[in-house]
Amino acid sequence: MSVLKVEQLVCGYVPGKPIVKGISFSIHDGEFVGIVGPNGSGKTTLLRALSGLLKAQSGSIIVAHHRVEHLDRREIARRVAFVPQLMEPVEGFSVEDLVMLGRTPYFDRFSFEKEDDREAVRWAIEELQLNDLKDRPIANLSGGEFQRVAIARALAQEPKVMLLDEPTSHLDLRYQIKICQLLKKLRKHRTVIATFHDLNLASRFCSRLILFKDGDVIAEGPPEKVVTTANIWKAYRVRVSVKANTGTKKTKYVVLP
Amino acid sequence: MLSPADLWHSEIFWQIRLPRVLLAALIGLMLSVSGVILQGVLRNQLADPYILGISAGGALGAALSIALGAQFIVYGISSLPATAFLFSLVAVFIVYRLAQVASKTTPETLILAGVALSAFCSAILALVIIISGNLQTVYFWLLGSLSYASWSNVLTVLPYALIGMGMAYFFSKELNALLLGEEMAQTLGIDVENTRFILVGAASIMTAAAVSVSGLIGFVGLIVPHWIRLIIGPNHRNLLPVVALSGMLLMVIADTLARTLLSPLEIPVGIIMALLGAPFFLYLLRRRRLSGK
Repeated sequence: MSVLKVEQLVCGYVPGKPIVKGISFSIHDGEFVGIVGPNGSGKTTLLRALSGLLKAQSGSIIVAHHRVEHLDRREIARRVAFVPQLMEPVEGFSVEDLVMLGRTPYFDRFSFEKEDDREAVRWAIEELQLNDLKDRPIANLSGGEFQRVAIARALAQEPKVMLLDEPTSHLDLRYQIKICQLLKKLRKHRTVIATFHDLNLASRFCSRLILFKDGDVIAEGPPEKVVTTANIWKAYRVRVSVKANTGTKKTKYVVLP
Repeated sequence: MLSPADLWHSEIFWQIRLPRVLLAALIGLMLSVSGVILQGVLRNQLADPYILGISAGGALGAALSIALGAQFIVYGISSLPATAFLFSLVAVFIVYRLAQVASKTTPETLILAGVALSAFCSAILALVIIISGNLQTVYFWLLGSLSYASWSNVLTVLPYALIGMGMAYFFSKELNALLLGEEMAQTLGIDVENTRFILVGAASIMTAAAVSVSGLIGFVGLIVPHWIRLIIGPNHRNLLPVVALSGMLLMVIADTLARTLLSPLEIPVGIIMALLGAPFFLYLLRRRRLSGK
């Protein structure tokens, strides 16, 4: 079942100068989709449009059968969660406090957290394996730990779709893999869409890749179909060779020139 | 039977001391809660109604309406804070606009704009009072004092304190979400523009009510929120009530000091707050510079 449908989407920051130029795709329940492409190709702009931060100039975004432009902020927030590249750490908050902020779209004006909010926070903390850290002050976390907290916050929002902007770009190799494993596991419950710079990481963990160039989709499909010498030349103007990963067979990896 | 001396003491207590303590408490509440609101909604650690010129704008409005005799009472509520409120709103709007560099406001430009506007409003305020021939009240307005406390003053500001505090408290979820930044707050379903409009209004209404009965008392909105945040953390749901209570307490203590320190001479309470607050402000400024934020 399609949970997110993008049709002829055009968006950008200045009228008449679109950054995303009329793209269409549709994403199904339980997919882990990687969006890849060169810097400035429109990946982040697309995520901002999908999360309702940026209005479409034309075309439409349909999340779980609702057109985004017909939903108010709160209704969008209950369907789509966004994890930015670098979230601001809140001085004086514990991990649990910060994850609880994810419940904001469910709070009423005159009451605060209820049992199901606490339950959702517990579950998100569990899923991201943060149980041992839940009372720790945010300020004392490492980059990789903080990124897990940021993702747990988005998960506590109980969205249909989770959007992550380069979730691994500030992390060391161990945490890059760990975050990707966690995201891959999460897709059982949520559809996950993330942008990546690292093609190897994306093709190893994502169920589908969308390759961007200049605001257009130039290739889309399972990683082994997208990550090819020809496509990478088209997108990045770099000649690489692509080898099969002997361990996992299906996925491939890129060898730099 | 009560002796005449007892009656005199009880009279002093009921008519002079009690309203003064209550007024000090209400002003402490309003100024410190305004500080929390402004720091949260402008995402600026150094925001405070005094530093941003909201107080001076409000005081100018109040002094003008007194000098022009343009005060009137509607349903028992004095128009004085309402005029002050209008001027406070104009002040905060001007400061915010002045501080906008390429559609972004940095903490430093906001403060510079506030200081400049504050100086300008204070100058006009002094001029208005001098022209109206009421020279000694210049001290009251510019230095801030509770020496005019009365029951009617208490009743004048009480509704504004309740409204302002209520609005702040019912928007604590918005203030919490804004801790993550404006965009993240939006993705959490918060209407940031709307929230900013309502909450800056709440801060202005409280500041205006406070200055219209006590003149310019600074730094309360800076000291109290920072100090309480260090102790109980930034969750506004707890922060707001604790800040409100602490602001009340601090102001009552400061006013007691103002009354007794050089007794029988009375020091304007604004001087006490500035002596405490200005070094604290410089400390915060320096810490910001050092942490590079």
